[in-house]
Amino acid sequence: MSTVPLLEAVPLREAVPLLQVEGLSCRFGGLLALNNVSLAVRQGEIFGLIGPNGAGKTTLFNVISALTPPSAGRVLWRGALIPASRPDQLSRLGLARTFQNLRLFDSLSVRDNVLVGLHRFAASPLAAGLLGSATVRRRQRELEQRALELLALVGLEDQAQLPASGLPYGERRRLELARALATEPQLLLLDEPAAGMNPAEKDDLCGLIRTIRNRFELTVMIIEHHVPLMMRLCDRLAVLNFGERIALGSPAAVRQDPRVIEAYLGSSR
Amino acid sequence: MDAGLLEQMLIGALLALSVYLPLRCGQLSLATPGFFAIGGTVAALLSTRIPSFAGTGATSPLPALLLEMTLGGLLAALLALAIGGTVLRLRGIYLAIATIALVEILRVITLNLSFTGGALGIFGIPQPFATASGYAGFTLVLLALVCWLCARLEQLRLGRAMAAIRDDELAAACVGIDTAQVKLQAFVLSALLAGLTGVLAAHFLNSWNAKVGSFDASITTLAFVVFGGSRTWLGPVIGGLVLTALPELLRPVGDLRLIVFGLVILLGPVLFPQGLITPQRLQGLGPWVAGLGQQLRGRVPGPWRR
Repeated sequence: MSTVPLLEAVPLREAVPLLQVEGLSCRFGGLLALNNVSLAVRQGEIFGLIGPNGAGKTTLFNVISALTPPSAGRVLWRGALIPASRPDQLSRLGLARTFQNLRLFDSLSVRDNVLVGLHRFAASPLAAGLLGSATVRRRQRELEQRALELLALVGLEDQAQLPASGLPYGERRRLELARALATEPQLLLLDEPAAGMNPAEKDDLCGLIRTIRNRFELTVMIIEHHVPLMMRLCDRLAVLNFGERIALGSPAAVRQDPRVIEAYLGSSR
Repeated sequence: MDAGLLEQMLIGALLALSVYLPLRCGQLSLATPGFFAIGGTVAALLSTRIPSFAGTGATSPLPALLLEMTLGGLLAALLALAIGGTVLRLRGIYLAIATIALVEILRVITLNLSFTGGALGIFGIPQPFATASGYAGFTLVLLALVCWLCARLEQLRLGRAMAAIRDDELAAACVGIDTAQVKLQAFVLSALLAGLTGVLAAHFLNSWNAKVGSFDASITTLAFVVFGGSRTWLGPVIGGLVLTALPELLRPVGDLRLIVFGLVILLGPVLFPQGLITPQRLQGLGPWVAGLGQQLRGRVPGPWRR
C-alpha cells in the first residue's frame, strides 16, 4: 500500500474523463429511447455521436443537459456526480449546447442573443444597474465588446444589430453557436450543427469547430448525420442504434465495425 | 381635461405596467388587482385608524403617504414572494387561472373581515392632496419614474433575461438563466408596483372596499396591455391611459357607451394583433419624432415649409 501513485504523476486528461455516462436508460412509455448506454468523453477531444434516425442521440444530449430525466443510470462530470439538476446550473458548471431545431431568442437582436449568453458574467446589483453607475456601464461595454468578438468569430459581426428572426438559416445556426460559446463552456454539445448546409458550408463549419475547440480549449460532443464529415472531424465516435451503443472508438475502427455497417446498410443475410 | 379623470388614467397606466412586467417574461399573471387591493387596504387602515397617518383631517401629511406606499408595496411584494415560487410553476392559462383565484381569495377575505369594513369597506380616507390636480401631479411623477425604470430594465441583464424567457424558456435555461428566479423577480416587482398604486388610489377614491380587487378588474387591466401592446413599456401605458379615459369620454353617447367601449376592446386586437405600440412601429416613429424635435428647435425646416 506504499506505492499509491500521485495524481500529478498521470496526465489529468488520461486520469479523469470530463464526462462519463454510465448505464443510462431513458424510457418514454413503451419506447426505450436509451438502453444502458455508457461512454466517456475525454478532455479536449471532439467526440462524435452518430446513428440512424431515432437512435436516441438527441435524447442522450437531453439527458446530459438535464432537460430529460433518465430512467436509470447516471452522468458523471469530472468523475463526480453532477451536483446540479437544472439546465441553468449545468450551464454554470460549464456545459453549453445548441439545438437540432434552432432555439434563438427571436425578438432580440443578434447581439442581444449573445449578450443573453453572457448573462452569468453580467451580474450587478439591480439598483446600480437601474441607475447606470459608472462601474455597471463599463462592465456593460466590456460585455458588448465580448459579444461582438464572438459574433466576429462566427462571421456575424455585421449583422449584430439585426433582429435574430431576420437571419437566414445558416447564420441562425452560427448565431446559436456564438450564444453557446458566450457561456464559456468546457463541454459544448452540438446537435446537428451542419443540418441543411451545403458541402462547402459544412467544410467551413468543420474548420470553425476545430478553431473554437483549440482556441477555447473546449471538449466538443457532436451529433451529425453526415458520416464522412464526422470521420474527418472527430477524434472518437460512438454509434447508437435503437437506443443502444453499438460501437465506440476511432473513426477508422468504427468504420470497420460490422454492427455499424449492419445498422446503416442492413444485414447481409 | 378634468384632473380627476387624468388621475384615474394615470392609475390605469401604472396598473397596466404591473401586468406588463410578468408578461414581459411570458407570464400571464392576472394578480395585479389583488395586490392593488392589498395596497389600498393598507392605506385605508393606516390613515383611518392611526392618528399620525390621518393628519389634521383636511389633509394628511405627505410623508405618511410615502410611508404607506412603502408599506403597501412591500406587503404586496412579500405576498408575491411567498406564493410566487409555487404559482409560477404554472404556465400560460393555468397561471392566469391561479392568479384569478388569488384575487378572489383576497376579495373574499377582505369581504369577511370585520376590521376591513366587510362589504361596506372603509370610508373617509383622509386626503394628502387637497385637489385632484395635486394627485395627478404626484402620480404623473411616479408614472414617469416607473416608465424610466422600465425603459432602463429593458437595457439590463434582468430585462434581457426576461425577454429571453418569453421567447424560449428552455433555451434561456440552457444559457444559464435561473428562469424560476427571474420570473419570481418580475412577479414581485409587479406586486410592488400594484401595491403602491393601490395606496394612491385609496386616498384618491376616499373609500375602499372589497369590490376594487375583483375578477372584472383583472380582465380590465389585462385589456390595457393587450390593447396597448406588451412588447415595450410604452404600450401598456398608452393602453391604460386610453382605455381608462374612454368610458368617461363616451358619456355623451349615453347607453351606447359600453357597447362602443366593448367594440374598441374587440377591434383593438383584431386591427392591431400585437397591440397599438410595437417595437417596429416605435422605430418607424423614431426619425419622425427626432425630426419633430429638431424642427421645434428650429434647426431644420419642416417638411411643410419647403
